Amino acid sequence: MQYYFFHLMSWPYLPADFDATCDSAWVWLPNHLYDPEKGADLYQNYIDTLAYADQLGFDGICVNEHHQNAYGLMPSPNLIAAALTQRTQRCKIVVIGNALPMYNPPLRVAEEFAMLDVMSRGRLVAGMVIGGGPEYYSYQVNPTHARERFREALDLIVKAWTTPGPFLWNSKHYFFRYVNPWPRPLQQPHPPIWIPGAGSLETIEFVAQRRYAYMGIPYFHITTFQRVFDLFREACGKAGYEASPQQMGWGVPIYVAETDAQARREFEPHFWYFVRKLMKNISLAPPGYTSPRSALAILKNRGTFLAEKHTWDEVEEGVYAIVGSPDTVRQMLDHYRKKLGVGVVLTGCQTGTLAHELARKSMELLAREVLPHVRSAQEAEVRRQGAVIR
Amino acid sequence: MFEALKKLKYGARVLLSGRGGEAETIDVCGRPTVLMHGGDGPPFVYLHSTLGESFRWLPPYQAWAKHFTVYVPTHPGFGKSGGFEQIDSVEDMAFHYIELFDALGLGEMILGGVSLGGWIAAEIAVRWPERIKKLWISAAPGLWVDEEPLPDLFREMTDRKKVRERLFHDPQGYMAKLVIADHADEEQMLAAYQALTVLARLVWERPYDPKLAQRLHRIQCPTLLLWGANDRLVPPAYGEAYRKHLAHAEWQVIPQCGHMAMFEKEAEFVEAVTRFCR
Repeated sequence: MQYYFFHLMSWPYLPADFDATCDSAWVWLPNHLYDPEKGADLYQNYIDTLAYADQLGFDGICVNEHHQNAYGLMPSPNLIAAALTQRTQRCKIVVIGNALPMYNPPLRVAEEFAMLDVMSRGRLVAGMVIGGGPEYYSYQVNPTHARERFREALDLIVKAWTTPGPFLWNSKHYFFRYVNPWPRPLQQPHPPIWIPGAGSLETIEFVAQRRYAYMGIPYFHITTFQRVFDLFREACGKAGYEASPQQMGWGVPIYVAETDAQARREFEPHFWYFVRKLMKNISLAPPGYTSPRSALAILKNRGTFLAEKHTWDEVEEGVYAIVGSPDTVRQMLDHYRKKLGVGVVLTGCQTGTLAHELARKSMELLAREVLPHVRSAQEAEVRRQGAVIR
Repeated sequence: MFEALKKLKYGARVLLSGRGGEAETIDVCGRPTVLMHGGDGPPFVYLHSTLGESFRWLPPYQAWAKHFTVYVPTHPGFGKSGGFEQIDSVEDMAFHYIELFDALGLGEMILGGVSLGGWIAAEIAVRWPERIKKLWISAAPGLWVDEEPLPDLFREMTDRKKVRERLFHDPQGYMAKLVIADHADEEQMLAAYQALTVLARLVWERPYDPKLAQRLHRIQCPTLLLWGANDRLVPPAYGEAYRKHLAHAEWQVIPQCGHMAMFEKEAEFVEAVTRFCR
């Protein structure tokens, strides 16, 4: 079981009148609301926090890509990852991911990921993502070609890493006479590939067939995760192999404090800032981004999406976040890890406006009071079953 | 007959008109294309807007069918027309149609369209001007006017009230509420998503054709530019922009009328097109 520390790098300074004056935290949120002076401190603190996760013993740290928004301030996660290669020694560095259709040429991703892999001495996890709906508005990339471009770019990148160059590439959207990236990745044949997914069967089957890892994006009801991972195991079976737990990641915010009551008190307001402000318009879906049937399914299932939740009871019921004392969090993690059958947990501790000090306190409690117990419980279980622990 | 029909509610009139058109599916170089046709006289092709008003034989088609052989094809990707995988640009649409006209054996024709359909008509006319006897274009994008950037329909599309305000001068009018109802059922939502997907493919990166303006001079046939005075989706400034490059074109503005003159001011719209095309 692996625990990865995820950071979105949210903007915590949205004005008090945001709810009344802004219909979105995305795409057209006026950028005068961004203050570069505060931004400088923020990046410093956020990078420090990610580096701290390495010291605390998390298996990896995750950064991701979003454009023109207050939800996540990493239009280029690769820049942050580059800084982290120099601030960390041990943990994996997960860029999850680069939104491939936003890169033209996508060879840029092959190059930058290879750089990161070499700079980190083989610690990169290469995340590849179609990109959220809002990104298609921000970069004016045609959403009706999103999936085609994503697959072509992914194939191109993997081939660029695994086939001696230069070679010629010709597909519907991309033609390159000389594919020949310098540098090449250090991990062979290439860094592990993780694909984030929001539950579409299309993505689940694709990731299963390719034997990559599927990372379930948070903000969905626990029963949705259960269905998604069941479908993933089924899809791997159809593809002729048994899914490994390491191929399945569960994204869930976790906050740990001294007691259950204290944890909720410290965490809840910041969580609602995240849900009510930063997620405002996150579901913006351009036409053609999914098939009409999927679009309708998404619309119908909207009620189970976190952005539609309004009370803490609903949050607890759907396990949209795990919040509590070390003991509570331990029990919940152990329970749901087994239930979902996942081998990877991706967790953000610093949600919304949560102060750096509280985020670090929670990380410490999680790393020292929770994870060792969950890990040893799991190892004992594996031993009981007579399996070999690697 | 037309005057009598006008007094009936639109739905009843559609039912009555429905007898006029026949639907068939034609294979156009591997693209199954739904086509309605009716009437008698010189060939008259109508290209529909993103609303997809080609799925039924509507009263305007019936009115035109008194004078012309009216063809109402459904664009690839809309309704039951296939071949969308072959369409990446408005130019592909133009080639689709010239191949359809070839398949139908139409040498010369009257060509017209509304909104997206009008733009496609212009793209056909600049490429094969010798095929077009008369051209009429209503409320069509295709060009760009710096002073009046087109609104982002893809931002507003989920807000039915806003869409209605974009499409109609009087969003409270009977036809406004009929065409864009307050609530859509599943089938309507799917159709709208499908239609907007086609539109997105054509215009997402750039909602106009940067080459169209310099090619418009190739159109020498009689041309009518027909706009609603209060078009808030493709404002009359876009008609004026076409006019700049089509010096010989007739310019007609329908007062108190939005983007979809065909529905909001049907009588004036049908009359203007019929008068020009006869």
